[in-house]
Formats: sequence, C-alpha cells, structure tokens
Amino acid sequence: MLKKYFSTILIGIFLLGCEKEIQLALDPNQSLLVIDGSITDEVGPYYIKLSKSNSISASSNFLAMTNALVIVKDNLGQIDTLKHEKEGLYKTNKIKGIYGNTYYLEVQVADKKYTANATMPQKVALDSLRINPFPFNSEVRYNVIPVYTDPIQLGNSYRFIQKINDTLDQTFHVFNDNLNNGKVNQRPLRGGSDSLEVKLKDIVAVEMQCITRPTYLYYYTLYQQSGAGPGGGTTPSNPPTNIIGGALGIFSAHTVQRKQIQIK
Amino acid sequence: MLFFLQVQFSYGQDKFVLNGNVKDQATGEAMIRAVLRIEELPSLGVLSNEYGFYAISLPRGKYTLVVSQLGYEKYKERIQLDSNLILTILLKPANTLKEVVVESGRKNDNLLKPQMGTETLNLNAISKVPVIFGEKDILKTLQLLPGVKSAGEGNSGFYVRGGAADQNLILLDEAPVYNASHLLGFFSTFNSDAIKDATLIKGNGPAQYGGRLSSVLDVKMKEGNNQDFNVNGGLGLISSRLSIEGPLQKEKSSFILSGRRTYADVFLRASDEFKDNILYFYDLNMKANYKIDEKNKIYLSGYFGRDELGLGDAFGIDWGNKTGTIRWNRIVSSRLFLNTSLIYSDYNYNVKLKNGLTNFNINSNIKDLNLKQDYTFYFNPKNTLRFGFNSILHNITPSTFSGTVINSNPKRGRNGLENALYISNYYKASDNLSVDYGLRLSAYSLMGGDAYNIYEKDLLVNTVQLDKQSFGKTYVNPEPRITANYRVTDQTSIKAGYARNVQHLHLLSNSTASSPSDQWIGNSYNIKPEIADQLSVGLVQGWKNNTYELSTELYYKNLQNQLDYKDGAEIFTLADVESALLFGVGRAYGLELLWKKKEGVLTGWISYTLSKTERKINGINQNNWYNAKQDRTHDISIVGIYTLNSRWSISSVFVYNTGDAVTFPTGKYSIQGQTLYQYASRNGNRMPSNHRMDLSVTYDKKRKKRIQESWNFSLYNVYGRENAFQINFQDDPKDLSRTQIIQTSLFRWVPSVTYQFKF
Repeated sequence: MLKKYFSTILIGIFLLGCEKEIQLALDPNQSLLVIDGSITDEVGPYYIKLSKSNSISASSNFLAMTNALVIVKDNLGQIDTLKHEKEGLYKTNKIKGIYGNTYYLEVQVADKKYTANATMPQKVALDSLRINPFPFNSEVRYNVIPVYTDPIQLGNSYRFIQKINDTLDQTFHVFNDNLNNGKVNQRPLRGGSDSLEVKLKDIVAVEMQCITRPTYLYYYTLYQQSGAGPGGGTTPSNPPTNIIGGALGIFSAHTVQRKQIQIK
Repeated sequence: MLFFLQVQFSYGQDKFVLNGNVKDQATGEAMIRAVLRIEELPSLGVLSNEYGFYAISLPRGKYTLVVSQLGYEKYKERIQLDSNLILTILLKPANTLKEVVVESGRKNDNLLKPQMGTETLNLNAISKVPVIFGEKDILKTLQLLPGVKSAGEGNSGFYVRGGAADQNLILLDEAPVYNASHLLGFFSTFNSDAIKDATLIKGNGPAQYGGRLSSVLDVKMKEGNNQDFNVNGGLGLISSRLSIEGPLQKEKSSFILSGRRTYADVFLRASDEFKDNILYFYDLNMKANYKIDEKNKIYLSGYFGRDELGLGDAFGIDWGNKTGTIRWNRIVSSRLFLNTSLIYSDYNYNVKLKNGLTNFNINSNIKDLNLKQDYTFYFNPKNTLRFGFNSILHNITPSTFSGTVINSNPKRGRNGLENALYISNYYKASDNLSVDYGLRLSAYSLMGGDAYNIYEKDLLVNTVQLDKQSFGKTYVNPEPRITANYRVTDQTSIKAGYARNVQHLHLLSNSTASSPSDQWIGNSYNIKPEIADQLSVGLVQGWKNNTYELSTELYYKNLQNQLDYKDGAEIFTLADVESALLFGVGRAYGLELLWKKKEGVLTGWISYTLSKTERKINGINQNNWYNAKQDRTHDISIVGIYTLNSRWSISSVFVYNTGDAVTFPTGKYSIQGQTLYQYASRNGNRMPSNHRMDLSVTYDKKRKKRIQESWNFSLYNVYGRENAFQINFQDDPKDLSRTQIIQTSLFRWVPSVTYQFKF
C-alpha cells in the first residue's frame, strides 16, 4: 500500500522516468501442475481446474490436464470422484459446501499424488457497499468500502474481488482482523496505480469471500510482491500454498456473497 | 602477543612533553589527523586527534617540528625543549589547485596509518565532483570508492563490502543517525556546508567504534570560524542552503548555523497533474563551542531534519532525525586527553492515510541516550593508548497504529541497554612497522516493561514477562581488532587486519528499496546479536614521489545471525513481528583497487571492486546459499577533475556496475483468470548492468572585496543511458496471451545549476 504511493510520487516527481519493453534471457522453466480449486457455500457443482505452468515467452493459453484422477472428500465421510468436463475443469457430483466442514482434495496425475485440505470458515454478513469519495488533485475520486462487522474472535480473513463495469480489478484485496478485530470494517478497496480508477456512474460489483488463513497468506504474498523491483515490493517467490506434493496454486474453501453499487 | 605488549621506556634522559592544538589559521577550526613529525627523529610521528589535540614526549633538546595536513601548507618550527611546552600550531590553507577529493594515505604518511580500508573525504574538493541535482553530497561521493556500493541510482543509501544498509554506523558529531537519507534517498542528511570532515572505515574500525557490522562513517561538523563572520550559501534548482558562522568571543567561542530546504514542491504546485503532491525536506545544523580555559572546552552540536511527503489529504508521511551532542574536552595532563560526550538521538516517522471518513496513522520511533568517555593517553612516542566506555539507553517503539477504525494497539516500546568498554594501543614498533590493536567488549541487555515471546521452529514455546526496572537476557561479546602496517620502501607498504564487529540493533525492511517506514528492532530472546569477522590484507604502491598511488585490498567477511522475513510477513500489523523472522548466515569477499593521481592539473581516481556477497537463511531458497541483493560482481568508478586555471575547472564521473541480484520469474500460470508467475531460486537473476557519465563545470569568480562567488553547471547522465530502475512482468494489453517485460528508468539528462557565495 505504502509502496504504491511511493512509486506514484516518485514517478510523478521525476517526470524524466520512462518505460519501455525489453527482452531478458530468463532461466528455463520447470513446468509444474497448477491446481485452482474452490469449494464454496453456494449450490454446487464446484470445479477444480488443472493446468500446467508455461515459460514466460510462451503463450498464456495454458495446457489443460485432462487425464487426472481428482477426488474431494469431506469430514462427514462423503467421497466424490470428479468428472473431467472440458479443458482441465473437473466437476463435483454430490459434495456440499457447508461452513465448518473440512474438505480434502486428492489429485493423481500419472504416478504423482497431490493433496490439500481446507475448512470453510463461518460466513460474515456483507451488509452493504459504501461509496467513499475523496479529493485528489482537485478532483473527486471514489472507492468502495465493504461494510461488515468482524466477529469477536480473532483470526478472520477476507478476500474481495472487485469488478468495475465488468472489468476485473487485478489488485489482490485481502483483509484480516489483526488491527480491527470485532469492528465494523471501514477499510476501502483501495486500487493501486495498476488497477482501474472508479469514476462517477461506474458500476462496482464486489464479491466477498470469507477465506481460510492459508488462502489469505497465498493472496497476501501475491499482493506484497506486486510491483517488484527497486521501487518496492518484496523479493518474489512462489506464494506459500496448502497443496502438498509440489504443485502451484491453491485449494480454497470459502463463502461467497455478492453486491453491486453504482457510483453517484 | 608478547610482541605487542612490549612497551619501550628506554630513553634514559629527562623527558618533556610537547602538546597543544592544531588549527586552521584563518578560521580557527581544529585540524583532525594532522601529521606531526620531528625531523631529527624520523621514526617518530603522531597524529592530532578528533579535536586537534596532540602530544609528543621527547628528551631534552633542540628539534624541528614539521606538521602536515592535506590542503594546508607545511608548517615547520624550531623548538627548544627543556621543559614541558604548549604549542598551538596554526596551519595556512594551501593553494587550492592541489586538492584531492579522497585521501586515504597522504604523501609518505602511510607509515603513520595502520588503518585498513579507511577513506577520508576532503569536503572542499567534493564540490567539484558532479552529482545529481548539483547538490554536493558526501554519501554520493563515497559511493565512488571501492567497496562502497550505491543502494540505487541517485540514492544516498550505501552498502559496504557486502553488508546491508543498516550495517553502517553513521555518526554525526558522535550521534548515530538512523536514517541518513532525505527525499526517499535522493539526498543525504548531510549538508556539506556544515561538515568539516568525513571518514569511512570499511569494517576495520578501531576499538572506540562499535555497534554496526560493515562500516563506520564518522562525520564531524564544523566548529564555526572563531576569527571572523562568514556567510555561505548556495542556490540550486531543487534546493538552497545558507550558513552563518562566526566568533561569539574572538578565539574563545564560535558558532555555526546552517540550513537547507528543497522546493521541488513549488514547481509541482504549478502543474495540474501533480498540484497536490507534497514533497520537501529541510534540515538545520547548529554547533557552538566555548573555551573555558586552556584545558577545558565545551561543544554543543545539534541536527534537526524533517521530510514531508504526501498526496493531498489522502496520504502523508513525514520522518526525520534529531540529534544533540554535548561534549567536554579536557586536557587532564600534558599527555592525557579526555572527551566526555552526552548524546541524544531520535528518529521517528508518521504515516497518515485518509480516505473519506476513514483515517489511519502509523508511528514508529527510536530514541537513544548515550554517554561516552574517551581517553587518549600519549604514553610515549611509540605508544598511544585509547580507552573508554560507552553506554546507550535505547528506546524503540515499532510501528504502532491509531485511527478511526482500529483497536487500540497492544505494542509497547522496548528498552535496551547497550554498553561497551574498550582499549586500544597504537604502537609504532619501528620506523617501518606500526600496529593498532585493541579489544572492545560490548553488551546488550533487554530491559523490562514488555513481554518477550520465544519461538522454536515457528512455535511459541514461552513468553517472558519482564517487569519494569528488571533486566532480561544480556548478550556479551568480545570484539578483538588488530591492524598492522609495514613500510617496505618509501613508496610501498603492506597492511593486514582482522576485526570482529557486533551489532545489537537490526533494521527490518520488507521492501527491496530503503523506505522511511523500515523499522529498527533490538536483540531479544530470538534475535541474537549479528556478528561479522573480517580479515583483510592490502598493498599500497606509490610512484613519482607518490603523485600516483595504487592501493589494493582483499577482504573476506563472515556474517552470523543475519535476519530476513518469511514470505507474506505482515511486518506492520503483526502483533509480534518476531514470529515472522528467519535467521541465517552470510559471507562476502572481494578485491578492491584504487588508483589515484594526487597532484597536478588533472587529479582523480579509478576504482574497481570485484566482489561476491551471499546469504544462507533457514527457510529461504531451500536453505541454500543465494546472492544478496547488493551482490554486484563488478563495480567501476572513474573520477577526473581537470583544473584549467584558477577560475575554471571541469570534472567528470563515469560509473559502471553489474546489476543487482534479483528474482525474475521463470514461468507463468493462471489462477482464477489472473496471470501469476512461477519462480525458481532466489536472486538468481541480474538487473541489466548500469552505467552513466556525468559532467560538471565550476567557475570561480574573481574575488570582489569580501565576496567570493562560484557557479557550478552539471549534467547528470550525459549520454542519456536508460538504466533500469524497475522491471515488471505483465500481460500485454494488446494480446493477453503474451507477457511483456517492462523496464522503468529514471534520470536521463538531468541538468543543474548551482550558485554559491561566501562573504
């Protein structure tokens, strides 16, 4: 957050700064399995997406893994073997997403096995979205505050996915209650310089997820690493994940609520 | 060891002490490290100390005393010694044509200087070296020396011999300066108008210095002219400065007051796009001294600096240092000099975030109260002993939060007591061999008033609640130091040294750049003192009566108890930041070459460093060795100053260095529709190499009555090299399936003009 302000000011001051696209010789990439899976409290089916990572210079149309064995179990004894639908998407048949339940994922590709588990947190109600205008260089700018009351126990984590007029805001918005445990949230979804600006008449749609601690750590690490380089950001690395076995990605169990608002 | 302890008493005759002060004739400023010799006894030689004091004991007789100091005419005086004698030596400033910017060994004086890896900056001459924005700056000039690396382009932060930025002890009149940069590093806190002397010691500091692993930068403020009033000033495009100095009572007391302010914000306000940007700093240096009598002198010095940075009401950050020093010089006897200092130092920062109705503040603070006694005992012409103690009370408050939306913050300030005892001896064994050896014993005690958590393998295993007035764990570390210098011929000398340094305060920084919000933390039950052992050897070779000099040093450094963070550590909001720390070791080694031309119309130097710096931290890079960020294999600086005539001079700087060690992704993947990057080993890649050339022209106007004026025109980055400041990977907006690598660079062709006056 701070570093974004720093780099905005820095680049602003030294107008002499300039950007250009360059070529770099990068180390060869070891292609790994990528698991992108979520169990939510919405009505199923749920999907687990399997793909392979690729080198930087290659296309971002990633290779889908279509020949895996994917199983999701829960702590009530349900065992669900997922069916490959298309393009690496595996669909659940019967498992139900309920908060408090723990979900166990098993993925088998050839002779390699990957596992992960996640316990869906309690749902914290998203009461409303509040428009938050603020002055900035003699114009008014906006952002949106998700209004919810954090429960009294410490340790809640949240993720917000923001769309502005249907365009995804690429910033990773994750909050926890380290500082405001038990309080009504007043922290806005603050866009960085690399995210979209919110203007008058825009429609802002927010999805609120109550997430597990590992999922928080995963997205928070990604957030910290954005804007890496001498101007800010921590030294990047693959974010810590709950998947055991050497795959990239995250297996999340979270609740989902959505609201939208027009800026006026 | 016996050899070192051997002390020679044998002169057999009556002995008398010659002592006094060495001063600048025009201003009365004390002269530091002036070389005093007796022509008749060439094996003798002493240096004046930090306050210009010297003492030599000699048998009865007639002698010729010769005193030399860089930038001053040689002083020669016949003396008759048949009782103790007090002699004040006044040195006349020399013709400025022969000024050299950096002086590590004066002509033929290497013999007297066993210190390894020591560089002293000549403040008069650095004004001719081009720097960005035309603001002469000791920290940026230092970066042109071997073994010293810049923290980034235009940045005043520096790394010495593979150490981190927090491993430099930066002292301003003995007070530690915790953040030596203004304006996010583009300026240093040192206003060169107020500074007399700056010395950098690269890890082989004598025993009186301690507390940081990599280097000591000892900056001394001017005392103020005790003969005459002077006004000094400079007007630049970005900043201006003014200083006034003069006697309070002639020859008895004097003062100097020096201030500086940038005004880039004034220009910004004129543009629509940036009119709400706030960005400026100011600083003030003050010093006064009073001579009570021939044996007692008191100095008061202070520094106050503040940075303000912000975007309208939405965001603001301000930070600054305050330091204050009271010093009392006392000549206890003709051979014993005592300095007692009481020092206060304070660094704090405040962050304000305001967003509509919400507001949020972060504050952090470190305060020191420091008492020091330092004795210099001129035991005999062959042995000068230095001993004393230093006791610092640290009060460190890590980032605390306040605001409309936040619970009260449970974090409290922690206190620590840092003590040190030291003794060292400068032993001139023979004409050709001198040795400086000593021992520093440092201790750090945790003090009561807070709870300390103890972690083992990520798990909280115990909490120690320390009551106020009680002490927790105490770390005690002996720090042996030795350096020796052997003069092989008049123009060749060899040096070797070993030193252990211990650091009890640590800077936690989670960004790759230095930022004012980086926070300091003391030792605890988990954080152990950082330890560095450095071994170095060197060779100095002169030519043509030492007009040319090549010094070579090799060093190897071993680091213990180094700190880093876990991935995703939230250093601001964690209740206990210690739970997110990782520990490990480091090593650094390298070769430093410095070739200087010290005299003539063309002076300057070429410096080259070949080095390696690595870390091995448990929990990072699969516990394997990796390059530290500041590991730059090659580092070259060329500095030339050409004096056309007494009015015009031209200077130029060229620098080249290998890019920082960084981590670039090797691959990419997609999660929830967003492109993420895959990484392999830490810091396995390099930023593109940096190079640039700067030019500067100085015109000294003919002196009119009392007024002396000069103009400096400089151009930074003459050939407009786009040095990479930042490299980002992103989806190509035109083709989302393609990844773009975008390089951002700053500073192409920065011209500046500075006008300076003195009357």
